[in-house]
Amino acid sequence: MRYRRDHRRESSVLAFNATPMVDVFFMLTIFFMLVTRFSSAEQVPMELPEPTDSQAQVTKIPERVLINCRLADIDDPLGRTVLYSVGPNRPEPISVISDRLAAMKRQSAELEAVVRADRRLHYADVRAVMRVIAENGIEMLNVVAHVGEDK
Amino acid sequence: MATTRPARRDGQRRAGDTHILRRHSRRRRVAGGVPMAVNLAPMIDVTFLLLIFFLVTTTFERAEGIIASDLPDVGVMPAVPLPISPIVVRISQTGPGHEDYMIRIDRFEDAPQDFEALPDFLRQIQQQPGFDRQTPVVIVAENDVRWDHVVNCWNAVLRAGCQRIAFGEP
Repeated sequence: MRYRRDHRRESSVLAFNATPMVDVFFMLTIFFMLVTRFSSAEQVPMELPEPTDSQAQVTKIPERVLINCRLADIDDPLGRTVLYSVGPNRPEPISVISDRLAAMKRQSAELEAVVRADRRLHYADVRAVMRVIAENGIEMLNVVAHVGEDK
Repeated sequence: MATTRPARRDGQRRAGDTHILRRHSRRRRVAGGVPMAVNLAPMIDVTFLLLIFFLVTTTFERAEGIIASDLPDVGVMPAVPLPISPIVVRISQTGPGHEDYMIRIDRFEDAPQDFEALPDFLRQIQQQPGFDRQTPVVIVAENDVRWDHVVNCWNAVLRAGCQRIAFGEP
């Protein structure tokens, strides 16, 4: 009888205990799902302004047009070639952007402009866009900056 | 010699029956000798794929926010001089470096030399007679000033609680 019991114990199935691994996988997956933010195609890589104690707020604007102002070569700030683009579009001259803004403003009276400009640009580079926005009757101008640490 | 156990009537139990019942219930858990268990392999596969996807796609970046402002409607009415004497904050670039800038405030001496101290200075101005939070603040930046400094100045004026902010021509 004792022999039979020992034999049964020896023939028990040897299996890899996957439970802790599954637990860790779940934890990691949930973590990455929570922290992931899918960046939009219109958010062109650039260095944004970082104000001290930033008052910038994360808000959603229903009807907006985003204008990117960036250096042609992100690694060469002395190149001084500035590219302007509306949303995910290719860079265009200011005059074309002005036409686009005029057409969008005709479709939506509540249109707001969001200027996303590289911090290394000169004020004159961004002022050209601000002037075009104002000329097309868009009254709300929003400037993108980094949000403070506590927000 | 084959012995047969006498048939029991319902409700009758003998000594040793408990052991038999336990063995019987253990057998029910393992139907036909095969352990009954949920097959976790597909779930692990999917979880692993999701994990790899998020590991590859996640980029840790700082959040972006917006600083809002109202622009004057240039198409309807011409620019008119402000009725109240505004606080004019001037920014100029003094060199090629990031920290090479200078802040000046018209009619006020000893303007701070960085944007961290600017809100306190503006709050002190607001305490003076004839000034309050409604007093317009005009930011006048020279053409070669870095956009970072302009936004920093704008942010500092907002921190001071000023409610009417405008941009002036250099």
